[in-house]
Amino acid sequence: MTRVLILISLSAFSQSSDVAFFEKNVRPILVKRCYACHSADTKPAGGLRVDDRNGLLNGGDSGPAVIPGEPEKSLLIERITHSNPRRRMPKEGDLVTPEELALLKAWITNGVAWPAETIAVNKPNPGYERLRSRHWAFQPISDPAGDIDGFINAKLAEKGLTPVGPANDLTLIRRLTFDLTGLPPTPTEMDAFQKNPNYEQLVDRLLASPRFGERWGRRWLDVARYGESTGPSRNVPYPHAWRYRDYVIDAFNRDVPFNRFLQEQIAGDLLPANSIDERVRLQIATGFLAIGPKDVNQRFKERFLMDNVDEKIDTVSKAALGLTVSCARCHDHKFDPIPQSDYYALAGIFTSTDDAAGLRNRMGGAGLDYYNPDLLVRLASFQPVASSEKLEKLRADLAVAKKEWEEIRGTPEGLKLAANGRPAQQPFRLKYERLQVELLQLTDPAEYGFAVHGARDGKLIADTAIRIRGEAERLGPTVPRGFLTAFAVPGAKPVNPAQSGRLELAEWLTSPNNPLTPRVAANRIWQALFGAGLVRTVDNFGINGDRPSHPELLDYLSRQFLADGWSTKKLVRRIVLSEAYRRSPEAPARLREADPGNRLLWHRVPRRLEAEEFRDAVLASAGTLDLSIPAGTPASKFKMIEMPDNGPQSRGIQEAAARSTVRSIYLPLLRGVTPRSLEAFDPAAQSLVTGQRDSTTVPAQALFLLNSGFIRKHSLALAGALPAGATATRIRRAYRLILGREPSPAEITRAAQFIDGYSTDFAKLPSTPDVLSQTHTAEAISEKPIVPADPDNIDRTDHPIVDESVNPQSPNAAAWLSFIQALYASAEFRFVN
Amino acid sequence: MSTLNRRSLLRAAGAGFGHLAFAGLAGAATAAKPLAAKEPHFAPKVKRIIFLFMEGAMSSLDTFEYKPAMVANAGKSGPGGGVVTPSKFAFRQYGESGAWFSELLPNIAKHADSFCYLRGLHTDTPAHPQAVVQLHTGSANAALTRPSMGAWLLYGLGTENQDLPGYITINPPPNFGGAVNYGSAFLPAHFQGTRISDQGYLSNLKAAEERNLQRRHLDLIQAMNQDAASSPGAPDPIDGIIESYELAFRMQSKVPDLLDLSKEPQSVLDAYGVQPGPEGSFARQCLMARRLSEAGVRFVEICQGGWDHHTNLHKGLIQRSRQVDQATGALLTDLAQRGLLEETLVIFGSEFGRLPMSQGMDGRDHNITGYSMLLAGAGVKKGFTYGATDELGVKAVEGRMHTNDFHATLLALLGLHHKQLTYRYAGRDFRLTDVAGEVHSQLFV
Repeated sequence: MTRVLILISLSAFSQSSDVAFFEKNVRPILVKRCYACHSADTKPAGGLRVDDRNGLLNGGDSGPAVIPGEPEKSLLIERITHSNPRRRMPKEGDLVTPEELALLKAWITNGVAWPAETIAVNKPNPGYERLRSRHWAFQPISDPAGDIDGFINAKLAEKGLTPVGPANDLTLIRRLTFDLTGLPPTPTEMDAFQKNPNYEQLVDRLLASPRFGERWGRRWLDVARYGESTGPSRNVPYPHAWRYRDYVIDAFNRDVPFNRFLQEQIAGDLLPANSIDERVRLQIATGFLAIGPKDVNQRFKERFLMDNVDEKIDTVSKAALGLTVSCARCHDHKFDPIPQSDYYALAGIFTSTDDAAGLRNRMGGAGLDYYNPDLLVRLASFQPVASSEKLEKLRADLAVAKKEWEEIRGTPEGLKLAANGRPAQQPFRLKYERLQVELLQLTDPAEYGFAVHGARDGKLIADTAIRIRGEAERLGPTVPRGFLTAFAVPGAKPVNPAQSGRLELAEWLTSPNNPLTPRVAANRIWQALFGAGLVRTVDNFGINGDRPSHPELLDYLSRQFLADGWSTKKLVRRIVLSEAYRRSPEAPARLREADPGNRLLWHRVPRRLEAEEFRDAVLASAGTLDLSIPAGTPASKFKMIEMPDNGPQSRGIQEAAARSTVRSIYLPLLRGVTPRSLEAFDPAAQSLVTGQRDSTTVPAQALFLLNSGFIRKHSLALAGALPAGATATRIRRAYRLILGREPSPAEITRAAQFIDGYSTDFAKLPSTPDVLSQTHTAEAISEKPIVPADPDNIDRTDHPIVDESVNPQSPNAAAWLSFIQALYASAEFRFVN
Repeated sequence: MSTLNRRSLLRAAGAGFGHLAFAGLAGAATAAKPLAAKEPHFAPKVKRIIFLFMEGAMSSLDTFEYKPAMVANAGKSGPGGGVVTPSKFAFRQYGESGAWFSELLPNIAKHADSFCYLRGLHTDTPAHPQAVVQLHTGSANAALTRPSMGAWLLYGLGTENQDLPGYITINPPPNFGGAVNYGSAFLPAHFQGTRISDQGYLSNLKAAEERNLQRRHLDLIQAMNQDAASSPGAPDPIDGIIESYELAFRMQSKVPDLLDLSKEPQSVLDAYGVQPGPEGSFARQCLMARRLSEAGVRFVEICQGGWDHHTNLHKGLIQRSRQVDQATGALLTDLAQRGLLEETLVIFGSEFGRLPMSQGMDGRDHNITGYSMLLAGAGVKKGFTYGATDELGVKAVEGRMHTNDFHATLLALLGLHHKQLTYRYAGRDFRLTDVAGEVHSQLFV
């Protein structure tokens, strides 16, 4: 492919004479009349900036300020010429003269010319050319003949190595049950499998279990950087995010083909739907694009928009392609062949899309400032609230209150201090705001569960300009919307000019000719089952990423995945039926020395349980796990108002999470408020695509296992639930429930001696306070946010969470509690072999 | 310890003196403990580090770096564009060294003669996430996370006090790499930093059982862990798990006392400016840092964010400086009075600097080509300036010190040769200084 040098000095919207007209006649007016309140160097009053073309086109709180070609419809002109002097701009200084007005109108009529900076686009880059044609991941997926074990054994044979044999039945059922459902097998299931070790039947039972979606859905939520709030800068809850979570779980349980699954999440709103229910499901799917971290405190709307666009590009490209496209926001990618123009080709798709998370940017805002109900996706099932007398009265009252507030606002009379030392106008504002909230409560579809965070095509569908050095306001040439040029996807359709282009992007990503998406997906599935991918950097298939250990196997898996209609379950089934998956964890010295990292897959590397698996396994074995699916989360009743990570709402979330016994995937997951029962075991960071979790060993884990109310409460529950009988029998039962195996005679002896010695010593202690399990007061979670006076300087003092203490009184109960807790605390429990 | 014979342990347990036997065996195996104190490569000048991290890039040109040329060139176009804008804050000289400080840092300025001024620093990436990560790990290559400098120190030197974590970070930034900045990456996990909130909170620190009973309980856990460690194909991290339990057990008796600031006399609390809420956050961190360092924590990092003044430079600097100046001054006085400054190195600085030209009406943009830091305490010359930027303060021209050089120099102060402190991973020997780094011994005493 030869690449043509296109030097675009001016973007499509700017003829040089028009730009000259703007610079000579229009910009000086804007500088003189408007900059004092509407520019980068001062402030964006009302959210509007006039020193930035997109700032004008996107407008401030009241909507677009200029509409190219239509001065009469442009708010800028309307406000300059407003009949009400209190609404007329500029509020201070001289008014715009008739001559200036004529110049502004002419400028708008002629298309809002603006200067663009000159940069070279698509200049030939020999380094890029070489990578496009040589980097393994950009080449078409080959179709090698063979099977999983064939590819692996061939590599082992090359090195003269023979893999270890298969794992025993108990190890196998535990491994497979955790890998497929995130839970340990029950003793009954273990017994049944030992009696009739029909492995294939076991695989099919687990694939069909509703627990499968709860485990595999969680893996995708890691990739989708799922979180129920915006994150650190101003942490605003996403009260409807859980519906996306449930959509993901359902999709894995129903084995929605992975290509379709991606299409739904990126362009669900643009896909056809046969029913209202299906439309609603597709709307919820687009939550993928909306639930990322956001800096709602960004001063400038254009930067807020471009940051959110970037967040989506980063998520989509890493999740689907394993490429770090975001690196090309400010300059051509330093390693991968991704020019900056490719980035802005994608950016145009997302600037043409509403980020319908329900939030707008505000500087220093508080309360409901950030919430914009119009910026949520209204579900197709929504029925408008029937008009009622109450509603009509409220609307009338609100109109009156609004008028009264506007009349007094800022007048000398209004600013005069009342007896309470506050301005006399304050009660008018409060009344107006109170009625606004009341009306919202009656009319906001979100209040009735008919709105979600998601995406939809924006009002302005257009290509976007390259931003010089990634700065939102520094416009370079406009580039047509499109996809990456790093690799070819034969047969891909170009962007539909009438839509954002998300549908075509989703189709391009999921084309069977896309060399990356099937490989990245197959590699993620492989990693979930082997603990490490064939490409170990699962989120980076670029130049800086890992090379596949078994390239033919990766291509074979990708081909099978495509042939099976992108079915996750079928690929999982293929892999777990292989010999390679069923190997024993044993590690003979010769093999360990030859390949210490197990890249050749000669044995099974024990995998540490992830945070959710660990918690779920404790609950499941203790008999306290509640397998019901809760409606929503404790955060779903929150208003979209900033929530400090240390306030009463966060404490309420933590306490609700501590009380909860549902599966961990259903726990509230607000960014920065990680449930204590997950925190110590490296849960997903929620800020970026996380294809692979950390696995650290730190004293915080030991402290959790020694002292937390969680582990002691559930240990005590199991101690109480062990059937009465001989000590040895009870010990055996506990081993089987928790570790999934029989204890050795020596282990039984050791445990019995421990229980005996512990209870004897315990009996000698002075009596402890009679607290069996300090229960939380059953107070409802605080849903009421506290709006700080100065949101830039909130109190970071933690609202201390009472550490729950569990102190059984009888020596026997204390000893059994301690023994069971020790089984949970053991390294063996933390790993699945 | 993983070589321990499981059967001998069981026999010992069966004989009824499991605890003692286990403790004895554990003692015999101390040499294998990864966190035990280790001999440095050569005689160290510094035993401990306290790093006061000004996250967001504090403007040194408004605080502790006086550039008269900024005044002389005020209003002129500066190199690379922008208008040279002198600081609005008044500078004056302090001490015998005559070092310049602005009115924002009157308490820190009192220690003018104690500081070693690094004036020629430079780094690679003018974006916080990469620069913060590079400052903490030596490399900003996101594709391969590197161990943090605290983790390298523990790997090289072990811990001084076996009852405490050797590496503690208080109130670290939740972004800009987050846990990467105190993580161990491919080094074993027991070398990673322990994070504590600015309230001194570390969850689950309170023992749930009476101490002797908990020891008995822990012995059972450790006996099971020994079994697991000696089984064929045992996962590598089990040794780390065993170690983490012992550390946790000791921590729960020592750490709560150390973090309890109410143990300090009122005069000390007042000197630091300790108070509840965000205004007192840094003062609390400084005092906790002294207590932890005094108890032998090898590396303590504390953090004050909010220095990223692209806008609101004037008011923002006043507010932030108020939060750090008194406490930092008090920390230096306190360490000196206790004789701790003779073995402790205090570092005060940011991931990069800011430009002498203005950004907008009231801001300064990032500068990675030349910036400053303050060092005080053990090993470095006092009242000594090392390196310089050009007359406007844009580019380091003398005593140029890249982040890798900075790390090499710190390691040298601690008795470690940066080229010898390596760890083999993925077939390559890695080090904190990547493939570069030069020790700048000119600033050593």
